[in-house]
Amino acid sequence: MGQGVLDVDDNNFESEVLKADKPALVDFWAPWCGPCKAIAPVMKELEEAYGDSIIFARCNVDNSPNTPTQYSIRAIPTLILFQDGKVVDQIVGAVPKSHLEVLVKKAL
Amino acid sequence: MLKDLYDVAIIGCGPAGLQAAIHSASKKAKVIVFGKPRNSSLYKAHVANFCCSEKVISGKEMLEAGRKQAESFDAVFLEEDIIETKNENSLFSLITESDETFTSRTLILTMGIARKKLRVKGEKKLVGRGVSYCVDCDANFFRGLDVAVVGNESAASTGAITLLSYAKTVYLVCRKLMITDTLYQQLRNSQVKVIQDTWVKEIIGANEVEGVLLKNGDTVKVNGVFVELGAKGALELAANLGAMFDAETMSFVETNRKQETNIPGLYAAGDITGQPWQIAKAVGEGCVAGIEAAEYAKKLANS
Repeated sequence: MGQGVLDVDDNNFESEVLKADKPALVDFWAPWCGPCKAIAPVMKELEEAYGDSIIFARCNVDNSPNTPTQYSIRAIPTLILFQDGKVVDQIVGAVPKSHLEVLVKKAL
Repeated sequence: MLKDLYDVAIIGCGPAGLQAAIHSASKKAKVIVFGKPRNSSLYKAHVANFCCSEKVISGKEMLEAGRKQAESFDAVFLEEDIIETKNENSLFSLITESDETFTSRTLILTMGIARKKLRVKGEKKLVGRGVSYCVDCDANFFRGLDVAVVGNESAASTGAITLLSYAKTVYLVCRKLMITDTLYQQLRNSQVKVIQDTWVKEIIGANEVEGVLLKNGDTVKVNGVFVELGAKGALELAANLGAMFDAETMSFVETNRKQETNIPGLYAAGDITGQPWQIAKAVGEGCVAGIEAAEYAKKLANS
């Protein structure tokens, strides 16, 4: 069991994600976005299963505009897997759980 | 008391929606049904495997008959798409493409599933790099840029108007507009540049969208392409209300045997809950949803 999906923002993105000692899957989302709401429970389920080895985080693009700009995000939800401060892979849209699991397993 | 408060609102007028309307209206619930028959997958189908009907029936005729049945129980029909749903104080508000708001105690989602992708060259590669399927989600990323919206129906037209508040130039690429007169006037009076009688052949760009190549041979330089085919579907309307989706597909709304979703008063029936794509399943679920929603509305009204 993990600690739940961690909220990250422009201020702590570097310390919580880029400089983390574990890989991190970050869900870039916004409250007005329907598909983002649909994928939120999936992130939670994955966190419960893999939260010990991977950080599951989410970044509200409305409150933190700089980080999404830095990663050229033009659609939400976008889910990016980071390892050692670098982008390993990313997925755009509300995709099935199995697709996200494939992404997560790349970091295990 | 709200004027025109409905007990049961139904989005979608295919077999699931019609059966839900028949059963809820026959229980004396005040029922309104939104949607256009041509958007039902039954519209162009011929049915040969529906129980107790030996002859092959035209889907269009079935839809017309079902509507008459529902109307005989006083269900009201409005041939408009819903572009926004809200859930406040135990009531659902629905905004139509003509910008009218309706309020209901319960909501049954029966709008089926529709193709969302264009399936043209460049599309898949550029998803998230300028190609988007959700104006409401992604308009903000295109501030001051040029964008094209693709689609013939309400989602594209309302999406293009929304984008005017963000983008510098908004093009709407369509074969033929299939929207209400009110929305058409709104579009005509707006700054949206409508490109009609053509379609997108290819989305151009190496690492991000640079433009669209049209079937008429023209190229339009844009930074973003919003694909908004048909009416707004499950991911836009249902997810916005907080409905849970089937995690394995992310395409279908999850329901229990009463056709209830995780949101009180919100039901789903028919193709939107998953396979098989059969009328028999749609009407079965529609029947249950209609009865359950009518009862729920009655309890809510008496509480």
